[in-house]
Amino acid sequence: MTSLYHWIFFLLSVALLPVLVLGTIRKTKARLQNRIGPPLWQPFYDLVKLAHKGETLSLTMCGVFRLSSIVVFADILVLAWLTPWLCFKPWAPEANIFMLVYLFALARMFTLLGSLDSGSAFGAFSASREATLGLLVEPAVLLALVALGIFFGSSDLRVIFSLSSVSTFVSSAIWIAAGLAIFFSSLVELSRMPVDDPTTHLELTMIHEAMILEASGRNLALIEFAHALKMCILFGLASQCFLRAIPQFSTFNIYAQAGLNIAGLLGLAMFVGLLESLTVKLQWRKVPEFIAYILSLSLIASFTAIGIGAIK
Amino acid sequence: MNIDITPIDCELRQDALVSWLNQPGKRLGLITSIDGSQIVTLLLDTTENTATLWESQLSEHRYSSLTPRITQAHWMERTMWDMFGLEPVNHPRLKHNLLHEPYDEKLCPLNPEGQVSAPDGHRQYHSLEVKGDGIYEIPVGPIHAGIIEPGHFHFSCLGEIIFNLEIRLGYVHRGVEKRLAEMNWQKQRFLVEAAASDSAAAYALAHAVALENIADLAVPEKAQHLRSLALEIERVAMHISDLTGLAADIGFLAISSSLGRLRGASLGMADLVSGNRFFRGFICPGGVIQDPDHRLSKLQAAAKALKKELEPVIKSFLANQVVLDRMEKTGKVSERLARDFGLVGVAGRASNQAYDARHHFAAGVYPLLKPQMAIETNGDVFCRAKIRVVELIESLSFIDMLLETMPAGPISTSIPATLPANAVGLGIVEGHRGELIHLVFTDGHGNCKRYAIKDPSINNWTALAIAARNNLVSDFPLCNKSFSLSYSGHDL
Repeated sequence: MTSLYHWIFFLLSVALLPVLVLGTIRKTKARLQNRIGPPLWQPFYDLVKLAHKGETLSLTMCGVFRLSSIVVFADILVLAWLTPWLCFKPWAPEANIFMLVYLFALARMFTLLGSLDSGSAFGAFSASREATLGLLVEPAVLLALVALGIFFGSSDLRVIFSLSSVSTFVSSAIWIAAGLAIFFSSLVELSRMPVDDPTTHLELTMIHEAMILEASGRNLALIEFAHALKMCILFGLASQCFLRAIPQFSTFNIYAQAGLNIAGLLGLAMFVGLLESLTVKLQWRKVPEFIAYILSLSLIASFTAIGIGAIK
Repeated sequence: MNIDITPIDCELRQDALVSWLNQPGKRLGLITSIDGSQIVTLLLDTTENTATLWESQLSEHRYSSLTPRITQAHWMERTMWDMFGLEPVNHPRLKHNLLHEPYDEKLCPLNPEGQVSAPDGHRQYHSLEVKGDGIYEIPVGPIHAGIIEPGHFHFSCLGEIIFNLEIRLGYVHRGVEKRLAEMNWQKQRFLVEAAASDSAAAYALAHAVALENIADLAVPEKAQHLRSLALEIERVAMHISDLTGLAADIGFLAISSSLGRLRGASLGMADLVSGNRFFRGFICPGGVIQDPDHRLSKLQAAAKALKKELEPVIKSFLANQVVLDRMEKTGKVSERLARDFGLVGVAGRASNQAYDARHHFAAGVYPLLKPQMAIETNGDVFCRAKIRVVELIESLSFIDMLLETMPAGPISTSIPATLPANAVGLGIVEGHRGELIHLVFTDGHGNCKRYAIKDPSINNWTALAIAARNNLVSDFPLCNKSFSLSYSGHDL
């Protein structure tokens, strides 16, 4: 019976949280600029609107363009099932760290293929930018997860996030460092400020938005939803890490944990809103520097984990 | 200001112009024609504050181009080819500026004889081709994603670096100059204001000054004060708007929304003066339309409040380290380049060109009363932003001063029913983009036979294309916004 409830809550979260997180970011940004802003559920209305629109396809496209958004969507759904971004998840098979990182890479690869297939000048240069960013940020995410893996002695995220081990000062430190690294690299991964400005209309400065410039109608709705779900997964994973840094977290009951889980997710969304109102987009040449900071966070977490392992 | 017309032989003109431009403080104002049978060259002397007009008669529809020796002539010669069918021989990149492929091959809007010498297919446009390994071409526009005017940008890039940029304009060519010469001169002011409507006050003022120059009319002192007031408020509004754009382009939303709100406040000041947020219908030949006397105390309070609110916003904008990082050394225009291209306005002053028409030519209360000139030497995006900030604050102080010294008296004088025959009128105004020139010629009956407009953007567009070279593709929008050039002012 509990497993049925888990499935229901999980499916509801997958359907609603992405829209809510996106709406929260937009609302926060609007409020910080003294605007009322669109309703919280506006992204949902936008998706419905897109789903009712016709689709325009370039004559030079082959099937890859349409296929790519479907593959990306399916891939992100699988990731949502495997990744421990929620505490109330149904049963899932082993979630190997390396597999997860490369499932994310698979989604990126198909987004790139889709944007190259569109044949537009913007698609090609944004694909090259996205590939560069992906290359740089992948080690940061991987090392952050590996640090946790080393500390808990497993590469299965189910074990790492199982709440069975005793919380210590060092474990809290590693959770925080890994959480920060995952959160900041998700800003790069999701093309948000300070790496890319999701609200800009300037094609020449875009990364993610220029890749999906040729998508329209239902296809665009699918891409937008997959992107929002990916954002939820990454922010959720980061907030899970932060919550586990609280020593008493494992003693809370499941409802308190779930509440904190969602509050953490929306809290990060509000933080992103704050960040996007106050930061300036980095010059393209400075982006590797920003990623280097994230990578050093991951390295600190890894070395601490290795050091603790050696002492034990 | 009286203008002398000096006849000069077309062949001698080239050497004379080169030696003119080699003297300090001497500038080229405008090269154009009246009806295609002559070339008129307007020369400005900013040391004596005078203007001279050279007129060279042409016997055929071709002349040897000035461009190989005088870089800044290149765009004006191209426009003359469009409008008069006068072919500059040996022009290094002769293309049409305004009349694109769909126009009739024989059409020359301002030359009654039509296109004579051009070969078939002369309207075909060819972008400069860049070849080689790794060259990547990005065509952008003419229709853009934002709500901006149309223009085509053709980038040839090496990776993320811009190797060459070619800008093609003319998509909003409406035939303004031709229409102005056809219509009754008393009604011209309505069309003039609408020609480039973000500079409505500057255009209306230049037009009024040019007609008053022909009619030899003295305008009451109070009208002059109100005209300068209008021009400075327009400058404040547009400089804030350009800074808003700069902040938005680098994703600094907090600043861009604050500045956006303050731009609204400056438009409210315009409303207090003229009853219109964009000064439409306020300045007319002879003076101004209405007297805002009872609203001036409100205006003074608004100007003070705006200045007080602007200062902290601008401070946190330009003191931000990442903002500096984005703007410094981006889109650099060297001093030499600025001189060769005759840059005007903010872009010119950012590259150490000490030229502000308010300091030299009569319009409104200038040059008797004038704000301090802002000047920078590095010529990058940051310098252009800084010039705007300094001018903005200076203009607000100047507005305060104008209000303090507002004289009493009439706000306009009656204009004669007819203009003198065969006369020339010149109006030079420093709009928010820079030096704006209106040059008007009347025929034997005192009707306008040729109305030439030189928008400040005409001098600066090419400099933008060159400033973008060797910069990152993703920095181009920032660079573009820092020049903030007009499409409709150029296309007319």
